[in-house]
Amino acid sequence: MPLDIDRFAHLETSIHRWDPRVKILSLGIFMFGVAVLKALPLVAIALIMAMIFIKITDLPFHFIYNGLKWVAVFLAPFFIIMPFSYPGEAAFYIWKLPFAWEGLRLATLIFVKAIAIVMTTYAIFGSARFDVSMIALQHLKCPKVIVQMLLFTYRYIFVFVEEMKRMDTAMRCRGFVMKTNLNTLYVMGNFVGTLLVRSFERTTRVYKAMLSKGYQGEFHTMVEFSAGWKDFLKAALVLGVIIALLASELLGIFRQAVFGWY
Amino acid sequence: MHISDGILSAPVLTAGFVGTAILAGVTLRKMDMEEIPKISVITAAFFVASLIHIPLGVTSVHLILNGLVGITLGLRSFPAIMLAVALQALLFGHGGVTVIGVNSIMLGGGGLVAYFIWQLRHRFPSGPKREPIFGGIAATLSVVSSGIVLALALVTTGEEFKATAGYALLAHVPIMIIEGIVVGACAGFLAKVKPEILAGQIQTGKRNAP
Repeated sequence: MPLDIDRFAHLETSIHRWDPRVKILSLGIFMFGVAVLKALPLVAIALIMAMIFIKITDLPFHFIYNGLKWVAVFLAPFFIIMPFSYPGEAAFYIWKLPFAWEGLRLATLIFVKAIAIVMTTYAIFGSARFDVSMIALQHLKCPKVIVQMLLFTYRYIFVFVEEMKRMDTAMRCRGFVMKTNLNTLYVMGNFVGTLLVRSFERTTRVYKAMLSKGYQGEFHTMVEFSAGWKDFLKAALVLGVIIALLASELLGIFRQAVFGWY
Repeated sequence: MHISDGILSAPVLTAGFVGTAILAGVTLRKMDMEEIPKISVITAAFFVASLIHIPLGVTSVHLILNGLVGITLGLRSFPAIMLAVALQALLFGHGGVTVIGVNSIMLGGGGLVAYFIWQLRHRFPSGPKREPIFGGIAATLSVVSSGIVLALALVTTGEEFKATAGYALLAHVPIMIIEGIVVGACAGFLAKVKPEILAGQIQTGKRNAP
């Protein structure tokens, strides 16, 4: 599973050149705006917007697909459960199970929204180096402690994926096969324990190394931001679209879900 | 176990973020500089361990391990899980950015529940079985509490999600059992190998005495 979200941060597109602070703020507002929409046509427009973001960032589809795959896996059951469990009148019956179009519509709505939001996430964090995005978050008043921990954790994820692969290889060399039984669960418990012990011991070393290099609870960075009129123009475009979508939502131009979404 | 983007209503999403901010504020109190790398490294280890898939008949489930975070990091498990949730949302759209708040409460709350149950073990005589049993119970109940939060988030969003919430709870029964056994075994392992990793471990000196 590829975990490096910033693999394509080196590209040169207008979203890549966008000041990360302005980009995170405006696309972030866009995402939350999409999350509260409840009319299907408006959500479809939001999805088209998200596709445009991805198109501009030039991220290859197989890269985005990794994220979208999980959304699809998670939301697939909704398409089966929702039409058959939606309260209210059923359109027709399949083997005595009431089928409601409203339920299917709701499932589609959820699915499209989730895809649009995940695509926007890729547009935000796939278009800048991870550390740059995090420093931008800190500029946006995200607590320093949290930003630092995110940076550390991100870095160590890759170290431990390698560690886990080595341990896995070693176990398979000794003839271990995963099965659905108690023994597998015990072995996995010990596996996780070993991973923890190793990471814990690594922490102590890392911390000493950091102290000796002068760490005082503060990261210093050479990254500098500067926002110009182009950055604000892009922000205005994105915000304009989401405000228009929310306005038409509130004015009730399109039919909305019958049951409570607010 | 995650809730995805696009399902929950605005008040539930907001409540998630407000609750997460409050809990993070409380659990991050009196944080030492020294703890930052420690929490991050252990968070990363959990993030990676939750990528492990365990076969279950024809399908497979992945470990959640929020109970294990609870019994190793104690109160700090909440910010740790919050970080893991945020990174999962950022790195592969698992969950989602708008639901970071709700997911943090769901999983991080489970971590806190696990920690409180884990602390109860001091009322029982120590023995080789005590840590595995309490680790197992703590992990199982942390999944139960996460399942309840998940169901509550769905039901408060709308009447029409009642059935979905029920199925989601049902689907978590095998995960409760698997988590209980894996974390129980892990707690036993850690108590033997490196007891100082476990939260609230007071009597480590005795164990090492000749």
